[in-house]
Formats: sequence, C-alpha cells, structure tokens
Amino acid sequence: MTNATKTGMIDFRGVNKWFGSLNVLKDITLSVEPREVVVVCGPSGSGKSTLIRCINGLEAIKDGDLVVDGQRLGDPATNMTQLRTEIGFVFQSFNLYPHKTALENVTLAPIHVRKIPRAEAEQAGRDLLAKVGLADKINAYPSQLSGGQQQRVAIARCLGMRPKIMLFDEPTSALDPEMISEVLDVMVAVAEEGMTMMVVTHEMGFARKVAQRVVFMDAGAIVESGTPEEFFSAPKTDRSRAFLSKILRH
Amino acid sequence: MLENFSFRTIIEYLPLFGQGLITTVWLSALSFAGALAVGIVLAAMNLQRGRLFRIAAKAYIDAVRATPLLAQLYFLYFGLPRLGLVLPELVVGIIALSLNSGAYVAEIIRAGILSIPRGQVEAGVASGMTYVQRMRLVILPQAFKVTIPPLLGQAIVLVKDSALLSLISVSELTRAGQLLASDRFMPAEGFITIAAFYLLLYYGLKGLAALSSRWLGLQPARSST
Repeated sequence: MTNATKTGMIDFRGVNKWFGSLNVLKDITLSVEPREVVVVCGPSGSGKSTLIRCINGLEAIKDGDLVVDGQRLGDPATNMTQLRTEIGFVFQSFNLYPHKTALENVTLAPIHVRKIPRAEAEQAGRDLLAKVGLADKINAYPSQLSGGQQQRVAIARCLGMRPKIMLFDEPTSALDPEMISEVLDVMVAVAEEGMTMMVVTHEMGFARKVAQRVVFMDAGAIVESGTPEEFFSAPKTDRSRAFLSKILRH
Repeated sequence: MLENFSFRTIIEYLPLFGQGLITTVWLSALSFAGALAVGIVLAAMNLQRGRLFRIAAKAYIDAVRATPLLAQLYFLYFGLPRLGLVLPELVVGIIALSLNSGAYVAEIIRAGILSIPRGQVEAGVASGMTYVQRMRLVILPQAFKVTIPPLLGQAIVLVKDSALLSLISVSELTRAGQLLASDRFMPAEGFITIAAFYLLLYYGLKGLAALSSRWLGLQPARSST
C-alpha cells in the first residue's frame, strides 16, 4: 500500500515518538493519498490520537520523516502556522470557543487567519452551518447547543478554512448515543465531497461506508492495514481479532 | 461615652472629609490602573517559557507578599530620596500602592489565563492562529470574564490599604479623620466618620462586583470541556 518514492498527502516514514521512556509511536510508515479516507482504530493508549496530532504539529515527532501536503514537519523551511490552515482538526471534546456564537466560531479563523473579508466569511459560515443542519443555530452560543450540535459546528469551523485535509480525533466518543449519527452523517457528506481524511474512531459503520482503508494500531505500532472489508471480515492478527471481538460484541 | 458624641463637629469638618474622600477615590483609581499595568506585565513574564523572566516575576511577587505594605511604603518614601529621586508624597503613595497591588493582580490574571482549558489553546493552534492571535481572540476574552470579580475584590483591598498613605501625610480620607482627632481631641468622631465613608466605598465596589458577576453570568463562561 505504501510507496516510498511517491509522496501522498500525508506521508509517515519511520516515525518514532516517545513520552519519556514510553515509545508511543513505533516506526510508523503510512501514506495517505489525496481524497483518501483512512480510519484509525485500536485499543485506548495505542497511539491513534498521537498519530493524527503529529500531522498538524500538536505533537512533535522524535525521528523519522513526516511530510504533509509536500512540506516536511520540523524542517526550518516549513511554516507550521501556514500549514495548519490547510488542516482541519476535529477534537473529541469539540473545543468550541464558548464566548463566540456558532457563526463567530466558524468565521473567526477565516477572518483573522485567512484574511477573508468579514461579509464573505459570514456568508460562507452561514452556508456551512446550514450544510451541517444548523441554519437555525447561527447565533447560539456553544453552551446552548447539544453535544452533537457542538461537534457539527466544530466540523463547520474546520470547513470554513477550506482545508485540504481533515483530521478527526474520536469525534463521537464524547456524545450521547442518539447524537452520534447526526455527526457521522456530516462526516460522510464531507468524505463524499472528496476530502482527504484521517479519522480516529471505533464507528465501524462509518468505516465500512466511506473509508478506503482501516489502520489498526496497538502499543504504538501499526499492526494491520487493509480495506474495511478485509479488516472486518478477515482480520489477520490475533490482536486485531481480539479487538474486533470486543467492540463488535454488542 | 457617646453622650459627648459631637455630630456638630463632624458636620463642621464635613468639607474636609469630602476632600479626603475624593482624594481617596481618585488616588485609589490611579493606583489600581497602575496595579493592572504592573500585574499584566508580571503575569506575562510569569507565563513565559524563559526561566529568567519567570524567576524575576516570582521573586518580585514573593517579596511583595511577604512584607508589610507599611514597610514597602516607608522603603519608597525614605529610599527614593536617597537615590536622588524626590517625589511628592502623593506620587510616592500611588507608586507604592500600584507596585504592591500589582503583585496580587498578577496572580489573579495568571490564574485567569491558566483556568482556560488546554483545548481552547489547541483549537486556536489547529486553526493556524499565531500566539498573539490566540491570546487576543481566544484566551484573554475568556480569562477577562473569570478575572473581573477577583479584581474588584482586590480593588476593595486597595482602597482600604490607601489609608496607610495618611502616615506619609497624604491628605486622603484617613488623614482627615486624624486631623479631626488631633485638632479637637475627638478620635471617636474622626475615626467613626471615616469608617462610615470606607463602608460606603466598600458597598459601592461590592455592588459593582455583583453587577459585573450578574452581567457576566448571563453569558456562557465555558463549554462543556
């Protein structure tokens, strides 16, 4: 699957990271093509979140190469702040700005970082909020929204920057069960528009529907990688079988 | 004791008390503005990665908190002229109060900034904001709201502390009470009156604090993170 000579949208080559003496990412090699949707799963503490947090530099890598959109992270020539404007990041805990309305959350970075004229950014923001089904919540503050609604605003906030890549860090894990599908529906729509996505999630229905590839991690290493069909119907390793039997039991 | 209590004398001295009250109000206001400036600089130093700034800020804050305000006041009042800097008592007083209160304000501001969840910083970082943009657009507006009530508490402390300036003969409110006490040998009249005026100032500031809390309470303070 990975190709050492060709450069994908996101390219991990022999990436390692330690927290103290703990090797949280072990020799990660992974290439994500433009428009590809990759689901990352694995037991808690396996390094999935750390993996995608490295891509926009929320975590620094120790050694190996990580090239995103043609730019090498850690390279003095790479403008990290600039690169981050091309990468949307959706957090497990939403992290909306509580002092801003839904619309202001969506337009803040486009106006101040992308320098888009306010009127234009607000029009785009309204359109995006309508697209995630929140046309009537434009002036609501995050505290007035349910978890599912907040996460949809957070996705719209990322889309407002017109990113090339979207990263999702367990976007539905903090949600009540009845709110999960409304968020997944929005993510499916984003995927179907051709966004390059890496999604840390245990939502196997989502993986089956839109992912080209599922990557299974355990103890900081990529243990298995394949199409959702292969991974779910014929997991190759004991660890992935054990993991799947736990999450698919109910 | 109170059968001799002379309301007439108090009324006679009322213009003096009025003057003192006005002086106390504006010198406290100026000192508080100074304290905010000192506090913002110290808090910024304290939040730097560079250890030197942090150590300097912490040393200053400890020194101020560990010593009596009166000692600090005399230190400046008698110390500055020795350095060749002769300033009016009022100016020395305002400087002393600003430097003293600034140390407490710094801690209030620092606590306010640190109370903002880490996820807020990360959201700003992830959307490509610079440090300054994050501070200006995301962190400070939220920290500001958390900070207002304790800052008004500190303002109340500052107003009471300003009474010490009477000891370097600044004609503020307490000084007016002292004058009445020594001119007419009426300490009860003098000091009860100033106490009443301080109480008035206290309720004024407390009312402001309550109003600000209620106003801020109307707006969401933080998300569920």
